[in-house]
Amino acid sequence: MDKSQEGKMGRRDFMKAVIAAISGVIGAAIGLPAIAYVVGPALQKETDEWIRLGSVNKVEVNIPTLFKTVIEKQTGWINAEEEFSVYVLTTNSRDFVAMSNICTHLGCRVRWIPDQEGFFCPCHNGVFAKDGSVVSGPPPRPLDRFESKVEDGVLFVKRG
Amino acid sequence: MILNLVNWLDDRFGWRAIWEAIFLRKIPHVNWFYTLGSATLFLAILQGVTGILLTLYYVPTPDHAYDSVVYISTQLPAGWFIRGLHHWGASAMVVVTVAHLLRVFFSGAYKYPREATWITGVFLFLIVIGFGFTGYLLPWDQKAYWATTVGTQIAGVAPVVGDWMLRIARGGDELSAVTLARFFGTHIWVLPASLATLVFVHLYLVIRIGITAVPSREEE
Repeated sequence: MDKSQEGKMGRRDFMKAVIAAISGVIGAAIGLPAIAYVVGPALQKETDEWIRLGSVNKVEVNIPTLFKTVIEKQTGWINAEEEFSVYVLTTNSRDFVAMSNICTHLGCRVRWIPDQEGFFCPCHNGVFAKDGSVVSGPPPRPLDRFESKVEDGVLFVKRG
Repeated sequence: MILNLVNWLDDRFGWRAIWEAIFLRKIPHVNWFYTLGSATLFLAILQGVTGILLTLYYVPTPDHAYDSVVYISTQLPAGWFIRGLHHWGASAMVVVTVAHLLRVFFSGAYKYPREATWITGVFLFLIVIGFGFTGYLLPWDQKAYWATTVGTQIAGVAPVVGDWMLRIARGGDELSAVTLARFFGTHIWVLPASLATLVFVHLYLVIRIGITAVPSREEE
């Protein structure tokens, strides 16, 4: 639109403006929903829920104990079963620390090696101490911890 | 500054000449029926865009096809809208293509020198029908399954080559995972590639030869 001509818009310019406006409306009507459609699943947060691990009696003092459980998970159109593993450590049989077995470097699974008193990551030789703190290797921070609770002698962790 | 850049690019691409050839060409004084071809092109592009978006989530296997379609329609933001556009756009595509074909026929626009445009158009019409036929199976619901059972069975009654065509279409004796996969592949690769190629030729001919005027008695 040429406003220097003060309201005198030619037929051709008027048609150009109308066509551009209609094209813009159509483009937005498709484009904006398309953006929501594409990014939608990425915005869905996992719901926090308490996951039942098992009896606390299994945990020995000062030895990280591995709990494995299978959780049902809805991913897209598939109901998948996912294995979920947590290392649980206690120093007094009353307070429990639940640690993720996922290396904080690049997401491989770490394993507790009793003889060497450490969590070892097979991917890039990251090593974590009993309490999850980094001993050596590339991991940028200690092993992640879960909120945990004990009900009737059964241990639960919250995944968030 | 920007104008300089545009001119610099035009010196190399020459897009202004192409733009003028496509949009600033002279046309006779015609009526709204002469816009049906453009409407068909618009719908084809819309089907392309929405179709590409649907492939982000759709899975062409008997295990997951229906569930992924339900997921698109009920779980995704605007999924119902994208799928709805593709669904109704498919019907509109057939209707508008036929309307365009009838307009060309009744205005005698298929005559010399536009026979080649007409023939490519007839093949484009067959491709549109092919899109409709293959796309109908993809939701893998009861309607899709039995419609394709019937549709391929119809191919089967053709003399001599019928049974052979039926088996080719289904990828075996019965509708199966093989059928779904080949209908999907045809729907999103074979037909779009054919359509794009022929649309290019069709439009080239329309622009090169120009469109017909509305027929009138005085010119007899």
